[in-house]
Amino acid sequence: MALKEPVLLKRVEKMTDPTSVEEFTKYGGFDALKKAVIMDKEAILDELDTAHLRGRGGAAYPLGRKWRHLYGSQNTPKYIVCNADEGEPGTFKDKMLLEKDPLSVIEGMVIAGYVFGSNDGYIYIRGEYRHIQAVFHQAVRNARAAGYLGKNIMGIEGFDYDLHIISGGGAYVCGENSALLNSVEGKTGRPRVKPPHLADVGLYLKPTLVNNVESFACVSAVINMGGEAFLNLGTKDGGGTKLICLSGHIKNPGVYEVELGMPLDEILYSEEYGGGTSTGRPIKFIHFGGQSGPIGTSEQIKDRLYDYGDFWYNKLAIGSGAIVVMDTSVNAIDYMTSVMEFFVHESCGKCTPCRLGTTRLLELFKKFQRHGGKQGDIEKLEKMLEHITNLSACGLGQSVSVSARSALAGYRDEFEACIN
Amino acid sequence: MDIRERNEKLRIIHQDGGEQENILEILIDLQFASEEGYIDKETAALVAQELHMTETRVYEIVSYYAMLKEKPQAKFVLKVCNSSPCHFSRSEEVILSLEKKLGVPIGKTTDDGLFAYHYIPCVGACDIGPVVKIRDTVFGSLDDDKISSLIDNLRNGEVVV
Ligand SMILES: Cc1cc2nc3c(=O)[nH]c(=O)nc-3n(C[C@H](O)[C@H](O)[C@H](O)COP(=O)(O)O)c2cc1C
Ligand code: SF4
Ligand code: FES
Repeated sequence: MALKEPVLLKRVEKMTDPTSVEEFTKYGGFDALKKAVIMDKEAILDELDTAHLRGRGGAAYPLGRKWRHLYGSQNTPKYIVCNADEGEPGTFKDKMLLEKDPLSVIEGMVIAGYVFGSNDGYIYIRGEYRHIQAVFHQAVRNARAAGYLGKNIMGIEGFDYDLHIISGGGAYVCGENSALLNSVEGKTGRPRVKPPHLADVGLYLKPTLVNNVESFACVSAVINMGGEAFLNLGTKDGGGTKLICLSGHIKNPGVYEVELGMPLDEILYSEEYGGGTSTGRPIKFIHFGGQSGPIGTSEQIKDRLYDYGDFWYNKLAIGSGAIVVMDTSVNAIDYMTSVMEFFVHESCGKCTPCRLGTTRLLELFKKFQRHGGKQGDIEKLEKMLEHITNLSACGLGQSVSVSARSALAGYRDEFEACIN
Repeated sequence: MDIRERNEKLRIIHQDGGEQENILEILIDLQFASEEGYIDKETAALVAQELHMTETRVYEIVSYYAMLKEKPQAKFVLKVCNSSPCHFSRSEEVILSLEKKLGVPIGKTTDDGLFAYHYIPCVGACDIGPVVKIRDTVFGSLDDDKISSLIDNLRNGEVVV
């Protein structure tokens, strides 16, 4: 069943100037903030737990749990950081919020500022989105002028909170939250060694919250409708609506908002959403959640619900919301070669298993492409994937194997056909 | 660098407070404002001085981040997205069209210094692939004809980026 009322995109296309506070408030903007500041902070955390809101940046970690961790930290100051680095190929949904409803992201970040008694929020916007950075700067100025940022917000004595807008520079790994913090500090954006957890030792070594753009927008929705109602939009494995990005061989590519738990077939085939393939050929597989996500074969995706639980149970993942559709003309080896080119390009080079591993994996896929594989090469591929997963320091290296393993599981025959 | 140029650079460096935190924005803005699309030695030195950091660190940053360039660039650098969603939406054909139209291989600049092209990863416009990005503008749903007229229009100034 299609979404009755958009939750995250309710103002998009309605406002003539997306940075205007007046228009934003006309369509319910800042209602959540007004509600939040008269709520007990513990009660806000309870609502977020009840909502079962999972982080929308990719890892799907429960947002309520992350907020509680930071809430419990005694150290000050605390920093709020919004991850708007959106670099996962096939993902372009944060762009929509940042450009078409930037104040909704600001509202979520101000609520976080209130809950944690923070004075400084940061938003790290990918360098490729320069025109969006300009929109966001304008939205921040407008919010400040209207008293929603700055000193004594909404007239509340001591509620001082402002936002810093930081530009990325075109490095995918800076979307990893510790690399992102290094980049904010004006350093080269390489990941840090973890632990410690960023909620304990984050930006400038202080307790820090990092959440995705869409996650912050969801926070306002939870406060507005209540945790229970938000949960009921989704399923017991994750509440709310999700922004999805359809691309590849799909007739109607673009960003859509869907209720979690919607039948995947409806997303792919109904005219309101994907509308089937663009090529007339059937779907062969789908790459979910970006390059670091798994590939689902046409068998695997049959009768699925777009739901965290149903997906995980079937070795799939929601991730960032990317849904990259590939038709039957695409060979699994060619596809994996393309994915591996990306990882080779984006590995930051800090750890050898990732730097060399991605290069070796690419060489091996290219050898398969030439049908030059030898006996034992598939086993070698499996070993290499295990090695890079276990020995890499950050999520980039650790997830290189996800798509490759699922491709191998689904299309082993295509790999075997490349062995002499 | 003459005094006017220097003042303009100082304005860019200090427009958002001139903090080290803003270094990427500052460098990207300086690069966009430069004639040849890169961070030259003098500019790097000025940034280092104003932000109280060493020149080595500024260069470390310029070489680490893909958007920043250490060498002069062509006037129009056409960046063709090659991540999977675009790759399988015929981004290779874009490269072939560009090669045919411009007469130089990927990575080389045309003799008049106007054009060069290369691959880059996803620019977040996957719904309109294949795409080319020039400076801050994305051109989508490209085919041979569109590329040909895009190049003509860039050359005669009808398309401004
Ligand atoms: C290599 C890499 C790239 C990432 N890129 C992004 C990104 O562009 N945007 C994002 O929100 N999260 C990204 N993440 C996930 C973040 O590290 C982090 O989990 C997320 O920002 C947390 O926010 P959330 O809990 O609200 O999803 C990336 C992770 C890795 C390992
Ligand atoms: S796993 Fe890869 S991207 Fe991550 S820190 Fe190591 S080398 Fe860098
Ligand atoms: S994959 Fe080409 S723009 Fe995203």
